[in-house]
Amino acid sequence: MKRREFLKGMAASSAGVAASTMIPFGGKALAGRKKKDIGMVKSVKVQCISETSWFDNATLGKDIKAAGGINTNQYDVVYNQENLGGYAALIEVEALDGKKTKYLLDTGWSNDWMDYVFNKDGIDKMLKSKEIDTLIVSHDHIDHYWGIESTLKHQPGIKIYMPGGSMEKSFQLLKGADFKKPQVKNSVPHTGELIVTKVNKIYQPQTGMAIVYFDAPATLQVRGENVVYFNVKGKGIVTVTGCCHPGVLTLINYARRNFAGGEKNYGCYGGLHISVFENWDPKFDDIIAGVKHYDMTKVACNHCTGWIWAEKAKAAGIPIVMGTDKNKSYKKVGTLAKAKTSNVYIGNGDSVMF
Amino acid sequence: MNSPDNPHGWLAERTLEPRWNPLVSGLVNLAVMLAATFACWWLLFSTSGVYQLYTPLLGFSLVIWLLLITVWQTEIFDFWPLSRNFLRQANPLAKGGALTAMMLGVYAVFILGLFFYLIGTYGITYFNWHSLTTHGKLGQDVLSARETTSWAYIALSVPFFWFSVVFALGVGRDVWPTLNQPRLGLANWLFVAVLALPAFFLLFHPHIGFMFYPAQIYAAVPPWWKGLAQTTSSEFSLGIIFDSVIMVFLTIHLWRGRPWNLVEKQPWRFLLLAIGSLALGLALFKTQLAIMDYMWDEAYIGGQNEANFGWRYSHTVTMGAFIVVPAMVLNQQFGALFKRLGTLAAGLLGTVLAVALGLGFAWLYYEFGPALLGVCEGVSHPSENAAAFLIMIMVLLNIQDNFMDGWPGYRLKR
Repeated sequence: MKRREFLKGMAASSAGVAASTMIPFGGKALAGRKKKDIGMVKSVKVQCISETSWFDNATLGKDIKAAGGINTNQYDVVYNQENLGGYAALIEVEALDGKKTKYLLDTGWSNDWMDYVFNKDGIDKMLKSKEIDTLIVSHDHIDHYWGIESTLKHQPGIKIYMPGGSMEKSFQLLKGADFKKPQVKNSVPHTGELIVTKVNKIYQPQTGMAIVYFDAPATLQVRGENVVYFNVKGKGIVTVTGCCHPGVLTLINYARRNFAGGEKNYGCYGGLHISVFENWDPKFDDIIAGVKHYDMTKVACNHCTGWIWAEKAKAAGIPIVMGTDKNKSYKKVGTLAKAKTSNVYIGNGDSVMF
Repeated sequence: MNSPDNPHGWLAERTLEPRWNPLVSGLVNLAVMLAATFACWWLLFSTSGVYQLYTPLLGFSLVIWLLLITVWQTEIFDFWPLSRNFLRQANPLAKGGALTAMMLGVYAVFILGLFFYLIGTYGITYFNWHSLTTHGKLGQDVLSARETTSWAYIALSVPFFWFSVVFALGVGRDVWPTLNQPRLGLANWLFVAVLALPAFFLLFHPHIGFMFYPAQIYAAVPPWWKGLAQTTSSEFSLGIIFDSVIMVFLTIHLWRGRPWNLVEKQPWRFLLLAIGSLALGLALFKTQLAIMDYMWDEAYIGGQNEANFGWRYSHTVTMGAFIVVPAMVLNQQFGALFKRLGTLAAGLLGTVLAVALGLGFAWLYYEFGPALLGVCEGVSHPSENAAAFLIMIMVLLNIQDNFMDGWPGYRLKR
């Protein structure tokens, strides 16, 4: 539903008096949907290049608080540079004919950190050789997008799927820009194909794979997120996310309503954006109940999911895919590793097969 | 609240007259109010302002309590300790300044002093975010802890608000007919507090106990309303109770206190307020939920944003507040235009206008708020809450009308 329609619909919710004049705006929500057959893939492997977007929650919290709080524009915050990491994942898709294709999901934050993890996993070489020729930007949040230079310096002409709701400054960054206050820069302008995703459209880089843009709200005035879906033969739908701002159940329900075979949700990977700063709210218990209802086979989560959510979800019987201690061998570790939490996250260097 | 010495209460006793033509007076007051609203927003709330309270719950928790304190000052304590002579003679600005200072003083003593510093430091951790960060471990950093504490204060205000309104209008001096202020106000206020605190523990404490990991099961039972509300969030109770208060506000401002003031005998008046306000609140709550179901399909357990039950429950309050603001403006700033109309005609006309203006106001807020106020774009944004803005306006409207006799557009008729 478009935002304007959404807002007008919202206004209508306040009183029955006005309901009759607003009814047309809600029609689409109830309309029948034709399901799209996106085809199938044989398998999907997701490797966690980095899920530690920052290394200390409290430090980032202080930076954001000093700038005016969680609703401040992300380009108006002064970030402690020592604290920055980034989020990125390598997606390897095996088609039904056995052909393998690699996609980069997100490009992290700190160039120092991203250069380090790209080198560690050989991503830099894959970019240079064009073994990876597509970058899917989930959204333009600091930790998913601001490390764009680390990707472009290896392949300026990489094809990019960029969410349509991205900030104007984020598009400027892509073209080459240097923002002094938040200390983010890109000195390698993008020269390749740029696909700016829009709502109500399904993008298919290959058969069995779909990118869908959700107009969902996020913190620091960021809006909108690209989500990647796969239909894995014999298993079902696999959802791969950056932060999952639309909500994990929204994504599951989208697949159910819009994809042929979407009733079977096999698994998911990525940040689920629940207890981001390890804060908690009873509403998050509702999400556990909701996810459990869909009976997924593999829930591989990390990043903004919140360790607490993953831990509680596991205790509730959700099939959380366990990570390893690999992340502890990296040059820096995050808040959770320091707190010696259990491995309910797919951590840096871990991978999951769907 | 009236007393034997002042049988009508100051707000009922005073007569205001427009300083100029009623329409001009109303428009001038509206312009002053708009200027004050933007000034206060940028000073207190804006993320680029001075105090940056738009977190959003921190600022919300402040203004909801300030609004409640204005109700205590006017309806329960009848402007005590200011004398009738002072209220009649003083310059509106001096009077407004004194009463606003008292409002802030009560907040400082009751919320900051008693709850935040005393109880939050030596009794209940969640009432002070410093205590949460000091004693808490993973997840208890200042950004999260501040919101947790702010939510606790918002939750605490809910039962206090409902009981205060029900007591002010439904009981008045009937329990203690011979008492004068401040004994009368204090007696009723204590009665409100004695009832509000258990209600808080029943309806909201279980939610707050589950805002931590592990859940504080030895201090708070698991949210018992889960099956009823389809969420473990206490926004269910918050929605119904605040909607009840909203409906009482609407009857006061649009229906000249009907139907509550039609019944004088006790306990019928009290029961009418208690049951009637909840019934009206539930109707507002359910009606809005039905419309939301139609607009966006049904909410589902664990859904996010507009698909979340808790968000929908809270949003009924936000949308109700969008109606209350124009209702207050119509009554306080343009009331003189409706004076000749009978209660029924004025009520019907006022209701239609308030709903229409409220919907328009909501559209303006969500369309232009990001540019004008720096608020987040979108209706169901997890860190956006229009109620902070709306309740701040209600506080300013009460200051202008109740504390300053509608200055500058209106003045006290002598």
